[in-house]
Amino acid sequence: MTKGRPTGGMDTMTADHRAVTRRRRRVFVARAVSCAAALVILLAAIGTAAAEPRRVLVVHAFGHPYSPWSDFAASFRAELVKKSPEPIDLYEVSLDTARVRDPQGEAPFVDYIHALLAGRTPDLIVPVGAPSAFFMQRHRAQLYPTTPMLILGADLRRIPGTTLTKYDTGVLLDLDLPAYLDNILRLRPDTTDVAVVVGNSPVERYWTSELQRDFQRFGDRVTITWFNDLTFGEMLRRAAVMPPRSAIFWFLLSEDAAGVPYSQDRALETMREVASVPIFGMGDHELGRGIVGGPLMQTQGIGKAGAEVALRILKGETPSDINPPSVLFGAPMYDARELQRWGIRESRLAPDSIVQFREPTLWEQHRGLVIAATLVFVMQTAFLAALLIHRRRRRLAERLLEESEEHMTFAAASVNLGLWQFDRHTGTLWATDHCRVLFNLAGDAPLTCKTIVNAVHPEDRETIVRALRGTSDPERPAVNEVRVVLPDDQIRWIRMRARSSFSASGRADQLSGNFIDVTDQKAAEADAAQQRAEVAHLMRVTTLGELSGAIAHEINQPLTAILSNAQAALHLLKEPSPDLAEIRDALQDIVHEENRAGEVIGRLRGFLKKGERKTEAVDVNLLVDSTINLLKHELIGRRIEVKVDAAEAVAPIVGDPVQLQQVLLNLVMNAMDAMDATSAAQRTVEISTRMPGTGGVEIRVGDRGPGIRAEQRGRLFQPFFTTKEHGLGLGLAICSAIVEAHGGELSLANRDGGGAVAAFSLPAQEILMAAQ
Amino acid sequence: MTDGKPTVFLVDDDPGVLKGMSRLLRARGYDVRPYASPQAFLAGHDSAVPGCAVLDVAMPGLDGLALQQALTDSGVHRPVIFLTGKGDIPTSVRAMKAGAIDFLTKPVSSDVLLEAIARAEKTDAEARRHRAELAAIEAKLATLTPREREVLTHVAAGRLNKQIAGDLGTVEKTIKVHRSRMMEKLGVRTVADLVRLAEKAGVGR
Repeated sequence: MTKGRPTGGMDTMTADHRAVTRRRRRVFVARAVSCAAALVILLAAIGTAAAEPRRVLVVHAFGHPYSPWSDFAASFRAELVKKSPEPIDLYEVSLDTARVRDPQGEAPFVDYIHALLAGRTPDLIVPVGAPSAFFMQRHRAQLYPTTPMLILGADLRRIPGTTLTKYDTGVLLDLDLPAYLDNILRLRPDTTDVAVVVGNSPVERYWTSELQRDFQRFGDRVTITWFNDLTFGEMLRRAAVMPPRSAIFWFLLSEDAAGVPYSQDRALETMREVASVPIFGMGDHELGRGIVGGPLMQTQGIGKAGAEVALRILKGETPSDINPPSVLFGAPMYDARELQRWGIRESRLAPDSIVQFREPTLWEQHRGLVIAATLVFVMQTAFLAALLIHRRRRRLAERLLEESEEHMTFAAASVNLGLWQFDRHTGTLWATDHCRVLFNLAGDAPLTCKTIVNAVHPEDRETIVRALRGTSDPERPAVNEVRVVLPDDQIRWIRMRARSSFSASGRADQLSGNFIDVTDQKAAEADAAQQRAEVAHLMRVTTLGELSGAIAHEINQPLTAILSNAQAALHLLKEPSPDLAEIRDALQDIVHEENRAGEVIGRLRGFLKKGERKTEAVDVNLLVDSTINLLKHELIGRRIEVKVDAAEAVAPIVGDPVQLQQVLLNLVMNAMDAMDATSAAQRTVEISTRMPGTGGVEIRVGDRGPGIRAEQRGRLFQPFFTTKEHGLGLGLAICSAIVEAHGGELSLANRDGGGAVAAFSLPAQEILMAAQ
Repeated sequence: MTDGKPTVFLVDDDPGVLKGMSRLLRARGYDVRPYASPQAFLAGHDSAVPGCAVLDVAMPGLDGLALQQALTDSGVHRPVIFLTGKGDIPTSVRAMKAGAIDFLTKPVSSDVLLEAIARAEKTDAEARRHRAELAAIEAKLATLTPREREVLTHVAAGRLNKQIAGDLGTVEKTIKVHRSRMMEKLGVRTVADLVRLAEKAGVGR
């Protein structure tokens, strides 16, 4: 898996740098060739005045520029000037000796160098490339034999160690030629033909033979065509018609077979324009000019390594002691554009490969714009997201609120509860939908004060209006009950609870509360009351059963009188001259007695009557009299005396006279029963009525019986607890319930001097009225 | 026995009943003496007046039965008819045992009441006649000497003169004298009459 360097920016910078270098180089050529002497004089003049500069003589064998050597030198030069502590006085000579076939003709070049340096001795001589090194070695005796020499960028095999003196060292190449073909076959395994571009200069001829030897082993895989005996024009023509599964390996073209020199960069670019197949190169200086790429000679690496060694020599190290390693291929480098052009997938590249010249991305082209646009986009997105989140939250809150309200409404409705709020200031009413159901309003009827007031029973309308108008203690809501008449004439009871909430101004403008259907509760209360009344009635019947003898007597008395009078009258009528006055008297007596009997029966009927509890004003003293009348004959029969101590002008109380008489009757009969074992002289029931300071009426019934035993205390009011042989044990329980229903309390206690006393107090009428 | 009408003593605490029944009995020819309470009756009662008493059983202070007992205790033999509002058996049994003529339940029809009153009046009349006869005998007996009374006892027992003389340690002749004087004092001529008288007077029992 091939890893391209993703930072295209660096590639771009490399390319830019290369371009700059190239421009700088062209300027430099013009100056170096024509104005070198003037420059040297100027530098020398400055040199005498300032610190002594280090003189470095760079010797080129080819014309200038000539790749790859000029590339070595450029990189070396830049690195050296940058790193050197002292000023560098650089002499760069381009001898073109590589193209000179006759070594004898080199003498003028030696003189030229001498002339150039004008008697000064350089501190370091740097021949670039093998031909340049050969020139220096040939003329070392004349050209500063003890000056250190650094051979830069020559191949290892051309500079054997034996040819180096103690003043010499070299930063040399070790070109792995087969690696070039291996690369081609790796990228395009189906390659059958490879054309090798190589020139016809001496150095090229050397390399042609080297290549031919090293490529021999590929003979069975590919057919290799050598362009070394072709002119560049022929090379181009051949390159244009290469068969599909073939490649061009551009090694070196300094001079074609016709002896025409070529500045390589332009030549390579020309071939690339016409070639029908990919071109592979040998050095990194070619990358970006049309080669696909692969393991490449490192021109910059050589320059930099050379500068390092040069600095050490300038510091005084002996060159022969410095043995820098030969410079090998760096990581394979490729041109992304060429890979794409020839359809070579990057997956074919070696894992550590570097891919350059990727198509600049939008980011690379318009970085600022992209950043700005992205920023704007991101901000907009963030803003939108924030808005969306806000909306979502709001919706969530709204939904929760809705749900909460729905839950509350549902919960309220499920317990038959309607909620409402009334603004007294504006007269507007808010109420939950369930209020419609409660007040039996149509589903589309408006929920206003008016509709609700109209929905209630006419007699209760004032109540609801008053409740809405009135204020109440916020701690204690006002409770009212109103009726709603349903279509089938059924009554629905609605309990209305209202509470004022005070505004900041202290005015009770807001009134809130609820409506609740209490019909069931009312029905249950009524049922309970009815049951209590049934039991009370049963008890009355039972009581009267016990009193049946006395009651019979009570009725028999008038009947007896009536019968007697009637029979007397009848008899008198039989007389010859009837005593009419006597007969009239008899008849009048009959009428009188009849009324008397009717009264007794009426009293009994009243006492036995079943029915709703009445509420009317009751005179307690009259109640006592009536009760004693009912019991009169029983009291006589049992030899019991009754003493009544009635308070004068007892305030009337409000209640049901029948039920209250039942209580009194029961208590008196209990008192009578308690005295069965008491001696006849002491059998006295004492009944008193009085008005204590508390404002009610108190009635006490005392006896002279055995009193209440300690173990009976506390159980007396329990139903079915009795001390009597034939008692049901319900009397006191019912009496207690009746008294409590009248707002009073029944108590039993022992009396001083023996006996028990039962007492109950009832609120007087005024108090009840005030309470209501 | 004023005007020859039988007297009825009527006691009832109920004024209406008292008045009505008084009217009824008066219409039927009775001399009615009404009393509104037992105490009033006891105070105004004259045992010499023949007739019966009609008493209400249930009255405050002193009920009918107690009143009857009070009469008996004071040696008054007045026939009593009870009236009651509720006819319970134990009370009626007690009343009858104490010598009541009848125990009637209110309201009572005039026929039943008058029949009972008639019976009571008759009883009272008989008792009074009997008591009067007895009183006469007692009066005659009171005139006898102790010896004559002794002889009477023996004669009533059916003993002969001779036997009596032996018992008393005297002679027959003396006994004959006592016997004739005794019979003369008692107003009887035959021994049978004498025995009947002695029996009535309870002599020899």
